[in-house]
Order: sequence, then structure tokens, then C-alpha cells
Amino acid sequence: MIELAIGQEVEMEFGGTAKVLSVIGSGGQGTVYLVKFNGQKWALKWYDIDKMKKPKAFRKNLQDNINDGPPSSKFLWPKYLTKETEDGTFGYIMELKPEGFDSFVDILNTYKLEIDPLTGHSMKRTVRFASLSAMVTAVINIVNAFRQLHRVGKSYQDLNDGGFFINVQTGAVLVCDCDNIAPDGSNFGIGGKPGYMAPEVVRGIAQPNVQTDKYSLAVVLFKLLFRGDPMEGEKVVRDVCLTEAAELKHYGQNAVFVYDPDDDSNRPVRGIHDNVIKFWRIYPDYIKEAFIRSFTTGISNPEKRIIENEWQKLFLRLRLEIIQCGCGRTNFSSMFVQQDEKTFKCPKCGMEFASLGFTSRSTRLPLYLGCKFYTCDITPDSDDFMTVAGELVENKLKPGVLGIKNCSGTKWKAKMPDGEFYEILPGKGFPVWQGLEIDFGLVKAKI
Amino acid sequence: MSNDILNTNDAEFSEDMLDFDDDPLSATGVSRKSLVIFFLIDTSGSMKGKKMGELNTVMEELIPEIRRVGEADTDVKVAVLTFSTDVKWMYSTPISIEDFEWARLRASGVTSLGAAFRELNQRMSRNGFLNSPSLSFAPVIFLMTDGYPSDDYKAGLRELQSNSWYKFGLKTALGIGQEANDNILAEFTGSADTVVHAYTGEQLAQMIKIIAVTSSQIGSKSMTLSDDSGKELGDEDVFAAKQKLLGQQIQELIGNQTDGSDIPFDTGW
Repeated sequence: MIELAIGQEVEMEFGGTAKVLSVIGSGGQGTVYLVKFNGQKWALKWYDIDKMKKPKAFRKNLQDNINDGPPSSKFLWPKYLTKETEDGTFGYIMELKPEGFDSFVDILNTYKLEIDPLTGHSMKRTVRFASLSAMVTAVINIVNAFRQLHRVGKSYQDLNDGGFFINVQTGAVLVCDCDNIAPDGSNFGIGGKPGYMAPEVVRGIAQPNVQTDKYSLAVVLFKLLFRGDPMEGEKVVRDVCLTEAAELKHYGQNAVFVYDPDDDSNRPVRGIHDNVIKFWRIYPDYIKEAFIRSFTTGISNPEKRIIENEWQKLFLRLRLEIIQCGCGRTNFSSMFVQQDEKTFKCPKCGMEFASLGFTSRSTRLPLYLGCKFYTCDITPDSDDFMTVAGELVENKLKPGVLGIKNCSGTKWKAKMPDGEFYEILPGKGFPVWQGLEIDFGLVKAKI
Repeated sequence: MSNDILNTNDAEFSEDMLDFDDDPLSATGVSRKSLVIFFLIDTSGSMKGKKMGELNTVMEELIPEIRRVGEADTDVKVAVLTFSTDVKWMYSTPISIEDFEWARLRASGVTSLGAAFRELNQRMSRNGFLNSPSLSFAPVIFLMTDGYPSDDYKAGLRELQSNSWYKFGLKTALGIGQEANDNILAEFTGSADTVVHAYTGEQLAQMIKIIAVTSSQIGSKSMTLSDDSGKELGDEDVFAAKQKLLGQQIQELIGNQTDGSDIPFDTGW
């Protein structure tokens, strides 16, 4: 391939040049450089066209993607193409990854290896979600990004752990490596990795498409929550060495989910897959059932794979069910004792939590200091799961009195202890009490 | 669904809730696959001087580069076996690339390649150097030599060839200077396209880097699937897929290197 030199100027398709400043990294398809273009810093991906099967069609697809624009702001999307060189080599520039995002790989490893450029010695920096809510929000964001992509009729094709960056403080997600994204059904010679690719792609009998994306998405979600490989258990470890034939077998021809209820041949192994064993005890049944379906019936029946909208509903419910107890224990409500239909109790300290039921949701929001609900919880058909609509706070003037603050931009009505409904303007709040009812307009909630 | 798979959620469950660390955020790193890179290095007397100097320097520089390769999802370890009159491991076990430090080598003695093959065969086992409890990728084995073996290398190679780790491993070799015999090296790697030859110091440094980085990149990852066949893949379609890919990539990369203009090793002595 033709490598670019530091200081070299690369001509852009529509005029101007990008000056190469340094190498950011290299991958299977080419090298990514830091460049300066129009007074701004960008990332330039420069292809090794010798490794491409259909460089012309690939470039055309990239051009189409640039013209279409990203499905949402969650995508680090190609921005401008470079002019083709005489031998057909080309690249594109995209915005740089913003500060504060860690790679999915580093999150799975729980640390990032930072290498001192002078000595070459490496240091480990811990990478961990700041809160359970941030982690579930990241999951919702990943699912939502793929929903947006599939809704515009495109598929990601080579979904794997290198494709995401996540802000572990907020759960914000950036989807990277968007250059292989193509209209569903078309393909420009992109391969993939067993383990992330759907078994039918591993076996060579299908090409990447929206259905195979759904399988890869389930793998990514499983890895993020359960911190292990859904298909790597006893059966795989017994083979010791992961040869090419072993990969074809365990991720293609004979892929068995580690918690397949009807096949216990591939259970996680203690000492190797401790994360999966532990987290499988923690997550509520409806999450586990969705993974079981994805990785059992979903293996042979691609159309039975969980659709993004379904995942999104499940994880919005999961986020709503987080309880942050005063004793420091944070977990899902299924890991608390359910006293009655509406009350949860911490098994560690005995603290009890009332809950709020929304007419828009089948499950209840446990109430604790700092708990939040979002625009999508109080607005039918809203996809906005990032904007906080309400939060349980302590009254600043009356310490010890808890209430719900209206963080939304709309007027609510709340029933007060005198039995009357009062208007609650944005920025105002009202106390939480036994008979509390809230009218958000089209959605209502009740303790 | 059976209860083994899905927990029930009644009040009695509260006891079970607390008998383990139930923090949904406290995870250990995902179980990583391991990869051992074996360097087999000729330290016979003929390596003395410029060759050994170049080799020591490039190996020191190489370690941080391989660190970057392994950081993703594979735990990369390095083991260095030197052979001259005797065979000797640089360290008694493979060392994680994060902690590995190159100990400078010195050259003297003859070229006991067969003994090196036998020693490698013995250590390349579950009870030896490949004892990781989790899954392993097949090892990378990189041989560098500048001379004709002074012992019966064929007998040693036969032993090594019976080793499954060798069979599935990624094998490459670098011949240094005029004396090294590429045919012997190809016998070791099993294919001519993973054998390269360096005649100058500049080439030596370039080639060691290209081979070591490329083979550890390929070795530390799952095979890459291509997607144009449309027919169901069998074991024979994927057998040695990584070794073939390595051969292609090495040939491409070496082809792009221009010849160095400095003086060949074998002249000017």
C-alpha cells in the first residue's frame, strides 16, 4: 500500500488539501492519520486498495453515505472524500473522536493501556462505568443507534468491539468505522470476525445484512452486560487451541449459547468465565430470556432475532428498575425483596422503597433520592430517553422532605395531600406522599 | 424454561441475593485469549558484530510495537529461545508483553538448529509454556538464523512437526546473509512465502519488524472471514487460513521495501 508521509499534502475531492500531521492507528483496511484541513484537525482514513475487492464500488458507496449524511449524531460519519490518486488510492476525512470517550475494548478489559511515548513502558488506567444508570444508558444508546441505521435501510456489516466509543460517565455512544455501512443487501467485500458475525456468515452461506447485524448487536450487548463471550463455554475451552477450524465450529456450524436451557454442553467455566456466571444471577428474567432467544432460536432463524425496538423497550425498563439504596447498594429491583406489588426492600439494610407506576409503562419506578424519569416515560411514542423529565430531590428549604422536581418544559398536574390537583410549572416540584398522582398530559402516574 | 437458567424472584430469594458480590458494575476483564510468540534466534559466532547489534536494537524497539498489537483482546506473551552450541531460553517462562524486557544477546559457538527444534517441541505443550487455563490462539513461531545448521536439524524438525501447536501455529523465518539456506527455512515454515531474506542491516531491521508485527497481528485475532464464496465452508477451506494470509501479507510488505544501499553483511569482513 502507499503510506502517507508526515507533512504530505493530500488533495481533497472538492479542492483544498489535508496536511498529514501524525499516524493515529492502522487496521485491516488501511491507516488513520491526524490531518489538518481548512484550519481544523480531522482524522483521515487512507485505504490500502490492494486489500479491497471492489474499490470503485466501495468509493461510490462511501460517496453515497457522505451525501446521505449520518442517521443521527451518534455516528462518527465520513465527511469528505479525497481525490483519487493515479493508481486509484483514496481516503476520506471524518471528525476526530471527542475527548472523554473510551473504546469498547478498553471497557471490556476494564483498563486502558497507556504507553509512554518516550520509554515505551505501559501504564494501566481503570475504565469503568461511573454508575449503573450510565451503563444501561450506553446499552440503550447502542440499540438506538442501530435502530436509526436500520430505519434508513442500511446495515453496518462488520459490527465488532472496535466499532464503538462510550462515555463511561454519561453512557453516550459514538459509532465509529462507519465506512463499511451499506444499503441492506449490498456488499463490498467486507469480512468479519467469528464471535461477532452471525453463524450463517461464519459458515459462508450468508452475506452481512440487517438480520446478521441483529445477531452481532446481541453479541455486543451480551459482552457489555455479562462481560464474556455468549458462545465460549466448556465445549470451546475443551478444545484448548482456537484454530481456524475450531472457530468455524464454535461460532458457525455448532454454536451453542452458554446458557442454552436445552443444551448444557457449553456452560461457562468457573475460573475463566466468572463474570458471566455472576452476572447471569443478577439480571432480571426478561433480559435473560431475550438473550436466550437471540442465541438459541435466533441462531437458525434470523427472522426470530430480537428487533432493536424490542431491545430498547427492555433496556428502558431495566434502567427504570435501578434502585440506588442509601446503604450504598445499587442494583436492579429484581435483586431487592419485593414486599408487595408497589414496595421494594433492600436485603442488606432493610430500607423500603415505594414506587411510581406510569400508564405508559408496564413496570414501576422505585423512588429513591436521585432517581430520574425521562421524556420518553411521560410522552407517548417519544424516543427521547436522554432528557431528564423528572427527578426525586430533597427540598432545599425543608431538609428531609422528598419530592419530585419537574425538569421538563411542560406543565404537569399533581395531587396534593388535600386531595386537589395543582399545576406544577417547569422548575417547580411537589412532595411525594402515599396518594400521589401525577398528570403529565397524555401519560399519568400514581404511587 | 427450567429454573436452572432463570432465577425465580420470591421472598426466599433474599438470602441468595447477598451470598455473593452482586454489584452489577464490578466486573473483571473479559477472559482474554492468549498468544505466545516464540522467537528462535541464532546466536552462533557468525552472528557476532553488526548482525547481533542490529538484532538487539531492533528487538528492543519492537517490544513496544507488539504491545500495541496485543492490547485489544488478546494476552500476548513472548518466549525467546537462543541456539548456538547450546540452546537457552532468555527467561524460564513466557513473559507477558506488558512486562517483557529484552535482554541483549551475545554471539558465539555453532548453530544447533536441530537441538532448538527439539527444545521447542518439548516446551510447546499444555504442561510446558502453553499452560494458560483459558483459550489460546495457535502460537507464532519466528526463526532467525544466518548459517547452515551444524547438527541434524531434520531429526529435530521431525519431532517438532508431530506437535499440534506447531502444526496450527503461524511459522515464519528470516535468513540473514548469504550462508542462510532458504530451503531449510521453508522446511520449517511449511511454505516459501513466509520465508524472507535480509542481506543488509537495514533490511534486517525492516524485516524483523514487518514479520513480527504482521504475524502477531494475525495470530492475536480471529481469522478474518471473506464473504464472496456463497458456499458453506468446511474445515479444509479454513485450514491454515491464517498462515496463508500471513504469507500474502509478508510478500506484499516485503515487495514494497526498497533495497537498502548499505553494505551487505557478507562483504568487507
